[in-house]
Amino acid sequence: MSLNLPQLIAQLEPMGTALAEQQAALRRLLPAARKALEHAANLPPEALESQIQRAGDRYRGARPAGEALLEAFAAPPLEPGLVVAGADGSQVYPDRHAAAFYFVIQVGGLAMEIGSGLAPQIHTRPQIFYLPEDLHDQDGHPIGNAMVNGRRDAEEMRALADWAEVYAGRPFVALLDNGLLLWFALQVREQNQKDVDRILQAYLGHLDRLKAGGGCVAGFIDRPRSADVLALAHLATLPPEQVNDQALRSNPYRALTDRALFSERLEPGQRSACFIDSSPLNRDFHAKGHEVRFFYVMTDARRTIARVEVPAWVAGDPLRLGRVHAAILDQCPSTGGFPYVLVRAHELAVVTQQDRDQLEGMIQRRLLESNLAGQASQKSTTKRWTRSRRRHRL
Amino acid sequence: MTADDRPIGRVTRCSTRGFVGAVRLPEPEWPVFGTFCRAEAQQGRSQVIGLIYDLSIEDDELARQLAASEAIRPEQLADSQVNRQVPVEYRALAVGYLNGGGFTQALPPQPPLTLAPVHRLSDEQVRTFTERLEFLPLMLNVPEIPVDDLMAAALRSAAAVRPVGERRGYLVRAAAEVARIVGRDLTRLESLLRAVRP
Repeated sequence: MSLNLPQLIAQLEPMGTALAEQQAALRRLLPAARKALEHAANLPPEALESQIQRAGDRYRGARPAGEALLEAFAAPPLEPGLVVAGADGSQVYPDRHAAAFYFVIQVGGLAMEIGSGLAPQIHTRPQIFYLPEDLHDQDGHPIGNAMVNGRRDAEEMRALADWAEVYAGRPFVALLDNGLLLWFALQVREQNQKDVDRILQAYLGHLDRLKAGGGCVAGFIDRPRSADVLALAHLATLPPEQVNDQALRSNPYRALTDRALFSERLEPGQRSACFIDSSPLNRDFHAKGHEVRFFYVMTDARRTIARVEVPAWVAGDPLRLGRVHAAILDQCPSTGGFPYVLVRAHELAVVTQQDRDQLEGMIQRRLLESNLAGQASQKSTTKRWTRSRRRHRL
Repeated sequence: MTADDRPIGRVTRCSTRGFVGAVRLPEPEWPVFGTFCRAEAQQGRSQVIGLIYDLSIEDDELARQLAASEAIRPEQLADSQVNRQVPVEYRALAVGYLNGGGFTQALPPQPPLTLAPVHRLSDEQVRTFTERLEFLPLMLNVPEIPVDDLMAAALRSAAAVRPVGERRGYLVRAAAEVARIVGRDLTRLESLLRAVRP
């Protein structure tokens, strides 16, 4: 049975009405949010910093990184000889119903020498993990999907660092289809401190290599839903004596996004000021010299707003920051506002359902050759029976 | 697996009259017009012999997006033309089948299986299959395909896999068969004979 669309249709009408009402309510909030940000921008920087200090660890929002909060910046010209690389990853999660317990990570990437007229260098690296130490956490429990995501993210960064070493000495920008912070760590760190730290250290090591090679790296987040700058705007409006848990939680702009705010403030091609991400995860990055900062950029004439995350050593270096800004703008026009190298990196990395089925068949055959009864569970088999909606054999 | 052993694609649509295959290979390895190929049928009990008569390049959403863009970089163009695996679709006309009894030049009893791998016929298989010429009338009345060009290409392929000394004799024998089939249409016959002339 496929999705019962006739029954769903009746639910779509109230859904459409409700979403339209929500949008209207958000639009009504926007002018107040805009004023709050203007207020924050007009505060002396030390007053705003004091307010952030007062909020302490309870504060989850943006911190100014030295640039005027409301300023919009144009990109510098593209440098001759620039190389832009992109990487993305895909995976097959461990499945206890499969013929064997394993997982697969595939990272795809390419490096494009701008202005050369040459086809980019491309690279795809699939890896299968099947050893007990890969499949079990520090307490001997089977690993979950979050841990696989973490390893995939580290492999993506490894691919970018490898490209950076290949092109060391040339202006180089590496793009990642995600933020730079390893969010899986927040999900599983309490249960898997050692494993998470191992992956985190590998990831930070790849960032070290990128930096040492003279490259730049940026995480590109399309349609961001974050509201870090709005949180800063809200904090700025609080009287100092009222900076407490309850006041921080009662942020009236929390339903809005920074994207809505900056889609009004930026013109095509412009970026916002840089901000510092106040996530607790950023402490590890800060300690290793890779504190994550971010800005918003309007990537094209269709007013697409993206969030771009960069390490402090990129954000604090006007040449590197401008290089990232210019590279992103150069990559976006042909693909509707999303960087071309990331479109292609995804295409190179993606593992389709058909790929999974073929791999599973190959594993089953290999197990049989090793005199092992590698069969999918009955539950998995019955799902396969009912998944197909047509017969291929006559 | 050598390049010749590799499948040139898989069947996506089929009937007893022919099949359509899709291939994702780099350009130098695409099959050419008039290639003899085979695809598994009857759960492996037979192979349908096809003659490729149409190749088309499917587009995809990225290709359409780039084609519509005014801002495409030369490097992106080169990426699409060199690196991306272009989905090529080809149509093959069924001209016979292979089973335990050898080659038969008639429509196959069943079409190939969906997703059956399609292979080129080896030179030896082409030589054996084309020894008889009953496959030529099978091509004659098929609508909407370039029958005469296909017939000429098939005969040239068949001659090319024979020793040099036998090629002329083969083509003369084939021309006589062609003359027998289309003899009443002298204009067409002349054009066909010109196309296969050694």
